[in-house]
Amino acid sequence: MNLSYRVYHVFVRNLVSYKRFVVPTFIASLVQPLFYLITFGIGMGAYVGLFGGKPYLFFLVPGVLMSAVGLTASYECLFGTFVKMIHEKLYDSLIATPVSAEDAVAGDIAWGVFRGLISGTLMMAVAMAMGVFPVSVPAVLLLFVCMIFVGVLFGSLAMIVTSLAPNFDFFNYYTELVLTPMLFFSGVFFPLDNFPAWMKTFSKFLPLTPAVSISRAVFSGVYSTALIFDFLFIVVLEVIAFTIGVKLMKRRLIK
Amino acid sequence: MSSIITAKNLTKRYGKFTAVDGISFEIQEGECFGFLGPNGAGKTSTIRMIHCVSPVTAGTLTVKGLPCSIDNRTIKKTTGVIPQEITLDVDLTVRENLMVFSRFFDIPRREAKTRVEELIKFVELEAKRDSKIDQLSTGMKRRLLIARALINQPTLIIADEPTTGLDPQARHLIWQRLRQLKSQGVTLILTTQYMEEAQQLCDRIVVMYQGKILKEGTPRTLIDEEIGKDVVEIRISQDQDEKLIGSLAGFSCGHERVGDTLFFYCRDGHDIRKKLVELDLPNTVHRPATLEDVFLKLTGRSLIE
Repeated sequence: MNLSYRVYHVFVRNLVSYKRFVVPTFIASLVQPLFYLITFGIGMGAYVGLFGGKPYLFFLVPGVLMSAVGLTASYECLFGTFVKMIHEKLYDSLIATPVSAEDAVAGDIAWGVFRGLISGTLMMAVAMAMGVFPVSVPAVLLLFVCMIFVGVLFGSLAMIVTSLAPNFDFFNYYTELVLTPMLFFSGVFFPLDNFPAWMKTFSKFLPLTPAVSISRAVFSGVYSTALIFDFLFIVVLEVIAFTIGVKLMKRRLIK
Repeated sequence: MSSIITAKNLTKRYGKFTAVDGISFEIQEGECFGFLGPNGAGKTSTIRMIHCVSPVTAGTLTVKGLPCSIDNRTIKKTTGVIPQEITLDVDLTVRENLMVFSRFFDIPRREAKTRVEELIKFVELEAKRDSKIDQLSTGMKRRLLIARALINQPTLIIADEPTTGLDPQARHLIWQRLRQLKSQGVTLILTTQYMEEAQQLCDRIVVMYQGKILKEGTPRTLIDEEIGKDVVEIRISQDQDEKLIGSLAGFSCGHERVGDTLFFYCRDGHDIRKKLVELDLPNTVHRPATLEDVFLKLTGRSLIE
């Protein structure tokens, strides 16, 4: 794996080009959480009553936060990277410079993480405006660390899909058949307690589930040792996904 | 002059398809070396291996003594690439394209700013400095690609069909710029399908066909050796061939029938010219031999797709 500090150069390239898309993406990143939190939080919250002694919104925010980060990073590394690779042929000119294919792909994953963090931060702002706060300032920092790990994980998973995609339509399989269903099996909208045992086991192995657990603990202030395993699970999965994603992308870029 | 690039039995295969089939060549420092050949001859595959974006399947290839491999950042650092396809960053302006690219070579910001202004002037894009890429004509885009290839002040420039699809004005401007670079001591590698381009720019050329090098030499010697000095084209029906070839037999010319035309390739066209006047044939063209004649003779006249 031929990685270097040039990952940063690729990240900056994305940042420079982002200037033109800042407004539309900020609006999208703001409207989406508002939509989730208002419809589910307030609309559904009225029916489900209190969750562990608090309004439903308090249950919802930590999960939706993590899924927003994961989804944003995914979309960036699916559609964003595909356009740069196939339509704009940006990677072709990158790898003719001292930037290696690995640097270029990692730079795009880093970019996906950054975009995820923007979404997460905006969502957190909305949640705070609605009265949902993490328990403390260190808890917020912990949350950001968690968001970075989630971003790298989902960005890397998306890279694997992008490296195999013959065209845009291929992404529908991943977004509709993998990402969207995953939201419902990861404890984002409701607890998994009432699932049959096999479904509970299944959901434990989904990449979003441990992230949601950690996020929820950070918001509620109720920590347990199981969270360490959740975190390790994310890290291990992330290292594997990153390695495979970068390798497959390199195979596609270099012929 | 010392050689800057050495290839021995260089081979490139994509799966079962052999794109470059064991070719050997040497490129001298400061010269302009041209790869000529029809589509699919293996020109682009060869130069992609030289600038280290495509792995060598077999054989050896060195640039400045260093073996080419896709992870060789040292070679990439001092090489400028003008790609065949327009790979500009469409999200950025002309100036931003150059500034962002300068980062990839670790050029300090202040130095980069000076170089970018110089390069914009060099390719005459001052008026378009802050335009987006889709506001540029094809000729402007190609010029920007040249400027981008120069941002790292390369000592080796690789141009893959740099004037494809350009109008004559734009083409001549690009030729001038490339000659200017060569006069500054830069080594230039060019692939082209335009024989005029090769004749204008190249000190030495190789003609490639089906992954192999057919001939190597200066444009002049290739023309002399393969064709001669003069070409006579006579548009005449085929049943007249025998008679005509007979009456021109004394001039020791090679001949070839292609479609509706009979070609004569001659060492000395002086006497044949007189004879042609005597024969008083309609539809005759008498002209100096060009590289295009060499190209067509070596690679065949049928369409290659």
